[in-house]
Amino acid sequence: MSIISPKERILRVLNKEKVDRPPVICPGGMMNAAIVDVMKSTGHTLPEAHHDDKLMAELAKDIFKYTGFENFGIPFCMTVEAEVLGSEINFGTLACEPKIEKEVFDSVSDVVYQDIGKILKKGRIESVIQAGYLLSKRNKDVPVVGNLTGPLSTSASIVNPISFLKELRKDRENAHRVINYVTDFLIEYAKLMIDNGVDLISIGDPTATGEILGPKMFEEYALRYLNKLIDGIHSFKVPVIVHICGNINTVKRFIPYIKSDAISTDAIINLRILKDEFPSLTTMGNLSTFLLQFGNPEKVADQTERLLRDGIDIISPACGLSTSSSIHNIRALTTTVKEHSSYGRSNILPAKQIH
Amino acid sequence: MSVGKEELFKELSDAVVNMDEDETVLLSTKVIVDGYDAYEAIDKGLADGMDRAGKLFEEEEYFIPELLMCSDAMYAGLDVLKPHIKLDSEGERYRVVIGVVEGDTHDIGKNLVKIMLESAGFEVFDLGRDIPPIRFVEKAKEVNAKIIALSTLMTTTMDGMEEVINILNQHNIRDQYKVMVGGGPISQRFADKIGADGYSVNAAEAVRLARKLVGGAA
Repeated sequence: MSIISPKERILRVLNKEKVDRPPVICPGGMMNAAIVDVMKSTGHTLPEAHHDDKLMAELAKDIFKYTGFENFGIPFCMTVEAEVLGSEINFGTLACEPKIEKEVFDSVSDVVYQDIGKILKKGRIESVIQAGYLLSKRNKDVPVVGNLTGPLSTSASIVNPISFLKELRKDRENAHRVINYVTDFLIEYAKLMIDNGVDLISIGDPTATGEILGPKMFEEYALRYLNKLIDGIHSFKVPVIVHICGNINTVKRFIPYIKSDAISTDAIINLRILKDEFPSLTTMGNLSTFLLQFGNPEKVADQTERLLRDGIDIISPACGLSTSSSIHNIRALTTTVKEHSSYGRSNILPAKQIH
Repeated sequence: MSVGKEELFKELSDAVVNMDEDETVLLSTKVIVDGYDAYEAIDKGLADGMDRAGKLFEEEEYFIPELLMCSDAMYAGLDVLKPHIKLDSEGERYRVVIGVVEGDTHDIGKNLVKIMLESAGFEVFDLGRDIPPIRFVEKAKEVNAKIIALSTLMTTTMDGMEEVINILNQHNIRDQYKVMVGGGPISQRFADKIGADGYSVNAAEAVRLARKLVGGAA
């Protein structure tokens, strides 16, 4: 039997083909595994690695090596997009991720529309793209995941988020215009990453949740622009993962209409039930990040077994990891998945003989 | 032509629920023109509307954008009504330190309580939101407050309320202050558990509680 590479495995899963076992990944971006434990042992540290392409690539490699996640994921924050669109960024520290210090616009009606070609030359875009190139060139077997901050979250990072949320109702024309512009920019940014070797794109859009928007606005804005972005990326022949934060109950009926190749959800969602309800979904998730931070390796292994039993297609943390998560807990997650095929067989065989 | 008072307050409450800022301002102005009590209009109109919006939010009928617009309407109405509130000025003005505990940045409830307390004659020192426990104690000492009022909307920050009481105990000054708590996840049971002096379910109730805590009259 041929052994397939991590890259082949995830690409096959995203193409709905059969594989020996689920991949175990941590995409990067909002959900990155740049934990303090890893950075302290290698010296490739944040916040420096948010800026420098070589450091960014080294840190992504360190995470791959130490955690056992079967991918490289870049960048390690959600602020690359907002920065080039003009917002002020606080780059954080070793243990604290970057955040928006101040959004550049007060209202959707104030947004200044720039030439997208020019924006793509700004900020840290070049570093992310170079890091993607370095990673993909030297490691053919490991998938490089390029991470995007989704259309609504990026829009709410350049317009004051309180005004933005109100203006989704009050000023729909300008709200649509802003989100559409942001989406066009994201498609071009994704294209640059893909041209430079990124194998798949993962979109995190924490503002685009049912809990915040409710079903009407989720459909009008989140679904529409996520799909526009996904269609754009698909036109470059690259698969897409979308992560939906929080409780999806109020917007569950829209989930099958998201055109991504996999849907990742938070720990609050029972993915097995979601799969039962929508059998066509490729599911990703959703090991509690609380458990990864405060649990122990045995409990993490138990919960990972449960996800494997439930037939989850891609195993990953449920949301953004705390930078103080323990490396032992993360390794318990990745090792449990990797040992699954042999474990699974030895368990199934006796059962079959009994029958 | 003047509609009845209760009816007007109901319309005011509806305007808040309907996220209609202009209508809220119009009706608030009408309250003043018709000579009704501004305090009562806030209680039975604006605050009532915000309460109903909160319920719709719990029922997943309203979401964050709707709630933000309701609160905009409420604040617009407050701007009109607040200058017309008749202050209870007889006797001593008791001082209250109020704020939202650390980790929480929701302050609609706290702002309402503050306005209602002020209109009831209390002198209110507003620390704002996301406030570390020790700051409440320091401020209460500094201004010689009688009441510390703590608010939160989030379950994760409820411990901060207990911490304020712990600090008071540690400094042996617990009996110098009355501590009242309120906000979404708070209950009388929680108030009893952490040893607070009182809990109130809404802003008007908070005023009655504050009066009781300082000895009736106020």
